[in-house]
Amino acid sequence: MSRKHDINKEIENEVYCGTLPVLPKERKYGFIDALLVLSGYCIATWSYTQGSYLATLVGFKQLLIGAFLAAIFMLMIYQLPVIMSARYGIDIWIWLRSVFGPAGNKVVTIIIILVNFPWYAVCCELFADSMENLLGLFGIQLFNGAHLILSLSCVIIGTIIALRGVSTITWTTRILVPLLLLVGVAVVIVGFTSVPMDVIWNYQPELAGDADKTVNYVLSIEANFAFVITLVGGMAEVPRLCKSEKSSYYAGVLGQGAAGSFFVVVGAVMAIAMQYVTGKMVDDPTLMMATLSAPILGLSSLLLVAFANIGTQAVGSYIYGVMLKSTFKKSSYKVLVLVLGLYVAVLCVWGKITEYFGSFLTIGACVYAPLAALLFVDFFLVRKQKIDLKSAYELEGHNAYRYSKGFNIVGIICLALGFGFTLLIFDPINVVIHNKILFMLTPTFASFLFTGVLYYLLCKIPGVRRYVRRDTYAGPDKKPFDRAKVPPRQNIILLPLMWLACRILTAPYKLKIDKKNMDGIKPPFLVFGSHNSFMDFYVTPLALKPYRANYISELEGFENFGEWIYRQVGCLGTRKFINDQSLIKNITRVIRRGDIMVIYPEARYANVGTNSHLTKANAKLAKMLKVPVVTLNMQGNYLQQPIWNLKERKGARLHAELKCVVTADEIGKLSVDEIFSRISKELTYDEYKYQLENKIVIDDEWRAEGLHYPLYRCRKCGKDFAMTTSGSKITCKYCGDSYEMDELGQLHSSSGEIIHIPDWYEWQRGFVHEECREGRYKLDIPVRIWALPNAVNFVDCGEGRFIHDCNGFSLEFDNYRTEKHETLKFPAKSMTSLHTEYDYRGKYGPCVTLSTYDDTFFIYPTDESRDVFNPTKIQFATEFLGGLYT
Amino acid sequence: MEPNQEIESRIEEVLKAEKENKIPRMTKRDYIIAAVITVIALIGIIGGFFL
Repeated sequence: MSRKHDINKEIENEVYCGTLPVLPKERKYGFIDALLVLSGYCIATWSYTQGSYLATLVGFKQLLIGAFLAAIFMLMIYQLPVIMSARYGIDIWIWLRSVFGPAGNKVVTIIIILVNFPWYAVCCELFADSMENLLGLFGIQLFNGAHLILSLSCVIIGTIIALRGVSTITWTTRILVPLLLLVGVAVVIVGFTSVPMDVIWNYQPELAGDADKTVNYVLSIEANFAFVITLVGGMAEVPRLCKSEKSSYYAGVLGQGAAGSFFVVVGAVMAIAMQYVTGKMVDDPTLMMATLSAPILGLSSLLLVAFANIGTQAVGSYIYGVMLKSTFKKSSYKVLVLVLGLYVAVLCVWGKITEYFGSFLTIGACVYAPLAALLFVDFFLVRKQKIDLKSAYELEGHNAYRYSKGFNIVGIICLALGFGFTLLIFDPINVVIHNKILFMLTPTFASFLFTGVLYYLLCKIPGVRRYVRRDTYAGPDKKPFDRAKVPPRQNIILLPLMWLACRILTAPYKLKIDKKNMDGIKPPFLVFGSHNSFMDFYVTPLALKPYRANYISELEGFENFGEWIYRQVGCLGTRKFINDQSLIKNITRVIRRGDIMVIYPEARYANVGTNSHLTKANAKLAKMLKVPVVTLNMQGNYLQQPIWNLKERKGARLHAELKCVVTADEIGKLSVDEIFSRISKELTYDEYKYQLENKIVIDDEWRAEGLHYPLYRCRKCGKDFAMTTSGSKITCKYCGDSYEMDELGQLHSSSGEIIHIPDWYEWQRGFVHEECREGRYKLDIPVRIWALPNAVNFVDCGEGRFIHDCNGFSLEFDNYRTEKHETLKFPAKSMTSLHTEYDYRGKYGPCVTLSTYDDTFFIYPTDESRDVFNPTKIQFATEFLGGLYT
Repeated sequence: MEPNQEIESRIEEVLKAEKENKIPRMTKRDYIIAAVITVIALIGIIGGFFL
């Protein structure tokens, strides 16, 4: 087997094994091991460059604070998410797929390399400087261009070593770290013995006339933040090999914050000592030792530093080459290393990387700060320390992190804005401060905060949260919704905006509101509204204007739109068809504080634009609260967006009637039956009758599509679940009986018969009642179950068994709450109706829901049961068995 | 074993190990200590302005 083949195989193996989750038994590193490895990585000759750069900005005491405390402060925060690497045995490049998407991750990897690789150009520059300086000490003057040749030779030798693969790199590292330590020790001894201690301790830089001491201190803190944060890329491989989360975390913190920072301070001491002795500040340990001790020591150190710089260049090319290879699997490792070498060579030819050291540090940090913020917020606050590993590894069938063609737009936008935010504060190229207040936080930390807060807030928006958290099944929030939480009054600041939004949304449908018997009626009062579609929530606030109101809302709305906004608009969360005593208490609170309480007593949208039967509990509630009762009968809302097809019909026209049906004087005198009778009478409606009488033309070609959900039984052959719809037609798939829906909402058979849709609907109900009376009604099917415990997320409960018969409902499934396979029973008499959906959120298909106090179970058919699962029929049976219909 | 199968079986094992706490987690105490160190470092940085 050839050597070339060996290297390729080694690299392939390294890439493959380098991405696999490391099992607990395979972990190699305790705290000390990890600390040594990471310290080795953090110690490089560029530490001297950093030290001498800091010495140009601040005095020694401030330099010590910056080098140690600033580094540790930043590390304590941004290293915290590495516990995820330790927990799952993966490196951050795998995890970043959840933050940016697999394709986005590729882009971010390239950006990271672009901003990180100038470090290696610094090494090459240092190598060339060392050579030049030392030869100069021996009186050898080099020709023009020799510096470039020397730095390029460092690139070439480093690249050649990297191309030789894993074994050569392992040996290089073994020699490199002790060498660097040796150089460091020599520098410390020479530095501290060649100048008096107080010279170093009391050192203050000679600042230019216009230099601001405070600004320089902030710049030094910024340099330290940037220094530690930009090394994260190369350190990412180690935490997954640690045996505990704590050791991975503190090894990272102390590897850089103690060992790395120590060498930065050594670099500073060297620079200060050189300035004291020669009047010139240098960052070259070779020159320092040759000047401050003896040329022979300089010559020895030259060999050490030369190898150290070449070795660092080689190790860097290797680490980033492997990183690129794991991201771009089809590319050749050799080509990738050569591209990296070429990039460093270009930077060497440019020749100004040392001059712009501070600028390049900050530009690197401009990328790393938002990146670190995203990792921190994503892990702790958005994903709550859970990721879907199978999606992160892009295993077949696990696509939670595919997002938009492989890009997580939210993550990418936050990264870009975080980058831009830094530049708004500070121009690192020309060293110009644009915003002094934010600059005091340092550009890196300000960007970290900005990006973190931005990402967190964006993920609070329900739509964004659902987009980012497609992996909720991996670690769902199971805490039950707090139904007892006292509802706030409608937010007075949001109220005008809400009215404006309602006005805009109802405007196309020419809403007309009539008010009857409302003179002198002021809050508190109780409103019972008809319930046809989401449009009800836009019409009601306009009808009740100028007063504030609270609304009862199913928890599902909280999840869809977000709990905060739902509470601000005055919603009280509950679950449908349960005996919710907390809800009664909150309704009472709303009335007692003098507000309007709006209830939609049908608790479900009208299936075919006609009212459901109400229960007397509504009248009892009114009697108990002793406040006026107002009804709001809304017309046209169903026509505009019927539940069986949520596409909006532009031809619909809206009308609402707000009417006081029981005054404050009457409420004490009237019986429950009388109150109930008045409410029921005012909330009787028929949308198709309203359409016909008002000649409301709805001429959308697709106007009948979806009507087969409520009209499921063939009028001719009598088969259930027989109907299908297309365009403006509803047809039986068995006997072919067909009806055309006209523009006024009536159905026409081919024989000229005219059918009123609600009549067909109620005709079906009769058959279900008959099945129930005769004990024939039974549905026993496999289903797919999702639980909604709170306003945050759904929990996938997998497949289960759904049984509905004359005794009520049984739901057999793996209950995530108890982690047991169990059967929940819902007695027939405990529910007067059922929440149904025909196409949940326009994409999930038909479902029914069953609720306990802590969960709402959304029950969908499986492929096997799809043909016999019809929410309307289940609802008919529930209402009959629950006693709502007789 | 196919690469994807290998990854899948490793993921299962890692998740099982997580449940069984085989890799010791950062405890509440550890987080508090980390927070205290962070605050001390921050105070030190602020103190640097007065030097």
